[in-house]
Amino acid sequence: MERFQKLLEDPHKYAKEWKEKTGGKVMGYFCPYIPEELVYAAGALPVRVLSEPDADGISYRYLYATFCPKSRGVLAQGLNGTYSYLDGISHAQCCEGMSGAYSSWRLHIPHEHEWFVSMPSDLDNPWALTALRSEMSALKKDLEKWTGKTITEEALDHAIEVYNTSRSLMRQVYELRRAANPKVTGAEAFEMVLSSQIMDKEEHNKLLKDAISKLSGREKRDDNGVRLMMLGSDCDFGDATLTRLIESMGATIVIDRLCNGSNYFWNNVIPQEDRLLAITQRYWDKPRCAVKDETFRRRVVDVIGLAIDYNVQGVIYNVHRFCTPNHADRPPIIEALKKRFIHFHDLEHDGTFPMGDLQSRIETFIDVIRK
Amino acid sequence: MTVEYWKWPEEEGTSTGVDCKKASVITAGVDIGAVSTNAAIMSDGELAAYSIIRTEADSGASAQKAMDKALKAAGLEMGQVRSIISTGYGRANASFASKNKTEIPCHVRGAFYMYGPTIRTILDIGGQDTKAIKCDEYGDVKFFQMNDKCASGAGRQIETFADMVAVPIQDIGPLSLEVDEDPEPVSSTCVTYANSMALQLMRKEPRNRVLASYCFSIAWRDYILVNRLANLSGDGTVEKDLAITGGVAKNKGIVSRIERELGIEALPLKKGDPQIAGAVGAAILAAEMVA
Repeated sequence: MERFQKLLEDPHKYAKEWKEKTGGKVMGYFCPYIPEELVYAAGALPVRVLSEPDADGISYRYLYATFCPKSRGVLAQGLNGTYSYLDGISHAQCCEGMSGAYSSWRLHIPHEHEWFVSMPSDLDNPWALTALRSEMSALKKDLEKWTGKTITEEALDHAIEVYNTSRSLMRQVYELRRAANPKVTGAEAFEMVLSSQIMDKEEHNKLLKDAISKLSGREKRDDNGVRLMMLGSDCDFGDATLTRLIESMGATIVIDRLCNGSNYFWNNVIPQEDRLLAITQRYWDKPRCAVKDETFRRRVVDVIGLAIDYNVQGVIYNVHRFCTPNHADRPPIIEALKKRFIHFHDLEHDGTFPMGDLQSRIETFIDVIRK
Repeated sequence: MTVEYWKWPEEEGTSTGVDCKKASVITAGVDIGAVSTNAAIMSDGELAAYSIIRTEADSGASAQKAMDKALKAAGLEMGQVRSIISTGYGRANASFASKNKTEIPCHVRGAFYMYGPTIRTILDIGGQDTKAIKCDEYGDVKFFQMNDKCASGAGRQIETFADMVAVPIQDIGPLSLEVDEDPEPVSSTCVTYANSMALQLMRKEPRNRVLASYCFSIAWRDYILVNRLANLSGDGTVEKDLAITGGVAKNKGIVSRIERELGIEALPLKKGDPQIAGAVGAAILAAEMVA
């Protein structure tokens, strides 16, 4: 389990070594609506640009103060050269914060190639699937030109298989969390998901398989504390610090519906003759994130379903300041939680935590649930 | 010598009719906050003595100092205290405490004792944070909301303001009420904005109107927090009875404006001092621990 934690201690090491070893190109992506299978099939390595708190405030040169700490942290890392090993950057139309970070990165940070997916805003529109499918064709051509490699059907099949395996393995890990006394902690599970986003999935799958076999032999923990769910903005920045801290106070985070958590891997590509359509459908049919849930409000049903399924006692609504999609998404979900008598606590922050305040909040919240 | 208008007086007190020497169980609570450290001694469930001091850089030493003062006021030695619970942000640093507990349940228990068990909503306005708490008839926390990082609406804000306007902190509340009609509040977004607006007002408005505007702004921030609590935990109605605790509860200019905005009168204090609610609650929980 420590391997995943170690990978995140230096999240850039793997990609740099991979690049040196293979001579391949590394594509950084800002949003998980990027169809990674296409990048992988082109022989490039897709890595998620993880955020770190912008301690120096360097991002303020380009982004207004009303941008969320995550987008600010992403841009700051680009500006200070942390991601200088990236050959290309890519982004899919999502929230204003990350789109702002991407736009500034394009303008102010040298890069070889850039790539933007016009992800439809209204995914329930009958034309959304068609529009996204045509995006895929354009992206495929663009990637082939950039890498100089033809993306064959065999390469696409292989990429789909590798990514589907990763998703299925992560679902197995999350299945373990559903148990009465989960053998895996929320922090461990979260580190597995995060690390899968910064390395070659084929290699990561081997680590996951090994971890799952070890987990099945692990003794059940006696006291898991209260069962919590994490909702809102991306939970942690580049690691599982917040999750670990919460779990140290007498709780286990058994499920999440976060952009860098379960939302990242929840559904598979269902193979079909038209590979690009199969990939398109997978991204189109992902559990809705707060940005893309505008028409039918599917998230309320989705989140409450998960809370019931995982026997959740309380929800921590972790929202970054100025994360407008999650602030807009919150009221109907809170109402639904109230109706079902599921405890919840709002944790709004700017990416840094005054420890005393955080401990008082979480400890009290856990006490309230226990009573 | 520079006059420090922000410096509120440290104090200690005893309750009349409580004889620690005849008590079977003595417990104590110490609340180490960001601004003040308070200690309370309970003798068979009754408040015997307390102390309120300003928290110094070393929170452990502040806890010891507050405890020593309260013990001295009660005429006791540390060895006579059966159990001590520490609370507040510095709770982990009170080496003499048997246990530590977060301040939210302590404030509820303390308020139950000091204002009566009919309270269902507690607004604790501390030095650096504000908590709106909903409790049940047993004194258990049901729901709570806290302010965010900025001290806007909390005691530290008034300390900065006292120095800026050169008015002793204890006089701000009473003077702010000496206006015919409340002016518009200054910004409640953050302490810096509020002070900056107050500075501009001071050039054109009489002092008492500036104080009124400032107290209104703090009250408004706290009013919003209580409303948020009511909305998130129920149908939006603030559940009565209401108690206001914490050092800022001593500022009548703020309390009366909160009451006016909420349309609810807060319960009057029956015992002790509003600033020691956390310490009293900790001492009560310490007594429950030994029972």
